Amino acid sequence: MAKGIGYQGEPDIEREMAKTREYFSSRWGLVLTALGMAVGTGNVWRFPRVAAANGGGAFLIAWLLFMMTWSVPLVIAEFVIGKRARQGPAGALGQLIGKKYNWMGAFVGLCTCFIMFYYSVVTGWCLKYVLLSATTGFPEDPETFWKAFTRTGHWEPILFHLLAMMAACGIVSRGIVSGIERTNRILIPLLFLLLIGAALRAVTLPGAVTGLNYLFTPDWRQLAHYRIWLEALSQSAWSVGAGWGLILTYAVYMREREDVVLSSFTVGFGDYAASLLAGIAVICTVFAVLPQTEALRALGAGNQGLTFIWIPRLFSRIPAGRFFLSVFFLALSFAAISSLIAMVELAARMLIDLGMTRRRAVPLVGLIGFSLGLPSAYSLRIFDNQDWVWGLGLTVSGFFIAFAVIKFGAGRFRRELINTPYEPYPVGRWYEFVMARLIPLEFAALITWWFYQAITVYDPEGWWNPFHAFSVGTCLLQWGILIVVLMMVNRQWAHRVFELAEA
Amino acid sequence: MKTSGIIMMILMLGLVWGGFLYCLILTARRGRS
Repeated sequence: MAKGIGYQGEPDIEREMAKTREYFSSRWGLVLTALGMAVGTGNVWRFPRVAAANGGGAFLIAWLLFMMTWSVPLVIAEFVIGKRARQGPAGALGQLIGKKYNWMGAFVGLCTCFIMFYYSVVTGWCLKYVLLSATTGFPEDPETFWKAFTRTGHWEPILFHLLAMMAACGIVSRGIVSGIERTNRILIPLLFLLLIGAALRAVTLPGAVTGLNYLFTPDWRQLAHYRIWLEALSQSAWSVGAGWGLILTYAVYMREREDVVLSSFTVGFGDYAASLLAGIAVICTVFAVLPQTEALRALGAGNQGLTFIWIPRLFSRIPAGRFFLSVFFLALSFAAISSLIAMVELAARMLIDLGMTRRRAVPLVGLIGFSLGLPSAYSLRIFDNQDWVWGLGLTVSGFFIAFAVIKFGAGRFRRELINTPYEPYPVGRWYEFVMARLIPLEFAALITWWFYQAITVYDPEGWWNPFHAFSVGTCLLQWGILIVVLMMVNRQWAHRVFELAEA
Repeated sequence: MKTSGIIMMILMLGLVWGGFLYCLILTARRGRS
């Protein structure tokens, strides 16, 4: 049964401390850590490609709109739910709407854990490329190098996956303030400086204006096409990381008197600001170095193709290219590691909620994360499948968060849990409309659109086959197994986290 | 550069970076928690 408590005056500090033990040392610590979670590889390698392929300026308008109708409202909800429950997603959703819905929170948390397994592999690739660009440099043909590096069974991606996981676990094991907050206080300002440096270098290249035209000049006719809107919504959802349970986990360590609305908007705008810098840096460099037809081919090469094949090629052709290539991959690595830290903390928090100490939980997360990430490090085909299944699963997570708010009562959630006396920037009734009406609609549109892509474009012959990498069948099978298992253990899991929370 | 591109660039950078900097200023004003 839902507890249904709203704001009840001064917090019981002793009770709060017993549950969480640690808080962010300051508002800046919280904001920078939340930004570290939000700004990831999707800002650097996906946004420029998707923005360029979908009408530039017209796409940007739709993308901006979805910050207000998907990302920021879900971030606000996550902050509130985590701060109120003082537990990770599994217990927090159960506390808000009742034990029988505990499995939904567990799905949100575990979906992000499944992403962590292969995101550590991506972080490892970035670390390898930083090392390469800062030391021996790239071989003549980056494509041959990339194919050799990621060939099935090669040991190097496994080694760098291990290093990435060890680095993230090492930071998380030091705790919230000494580990996570301190790292993000250094990484995030540096990341923005590196992105600003890369963008400034790109716009001063001869011919960069063609790239700026491509990125910003709006093709208004594109706004009439539903594809632009769905691509913009997908980009906003995957880039900000709203509804993944990561902000909810960090909110566990917020102080009671901390407001949520300003922090949520800072995360949304900060993530978008990083995307724009990355977009300017990548697209201007692509168009400055390559003729238009080849530039379009580079931007159409997919996330991995653009980043690990075309970027080294492009930077080798500009003055001081090797230095700026190191800057680019360092920024990408900072973005990746700060997001990986958030995922490791989420997984550790779920174990802590089940009664484990941080000291034991983090090494266990590292061991499980390394082991279950091995298949993705071993084979790009498995990596692609996991990225497809759990990347799309995040939209389900976003819907579950919205469902929890709707079930609790969107109006009551806004009045009692967001607009507390500690909140200097209360949200208006628009929030209720977005959570109760728009987000479920957007979720339905997203799932339909991506399944339609699978059926008509990715795998028209075998879209139903659960053993095909990009099929509808593989999503339904893997989500289905997870949901069935979570529903089977729901009673025991809920009992355990509630028992410990009450203790 | 095309005029519509310049307008859109100023609009986007102004809204997104302006919004971000404004949020940071408000955060700074609220000080340490």
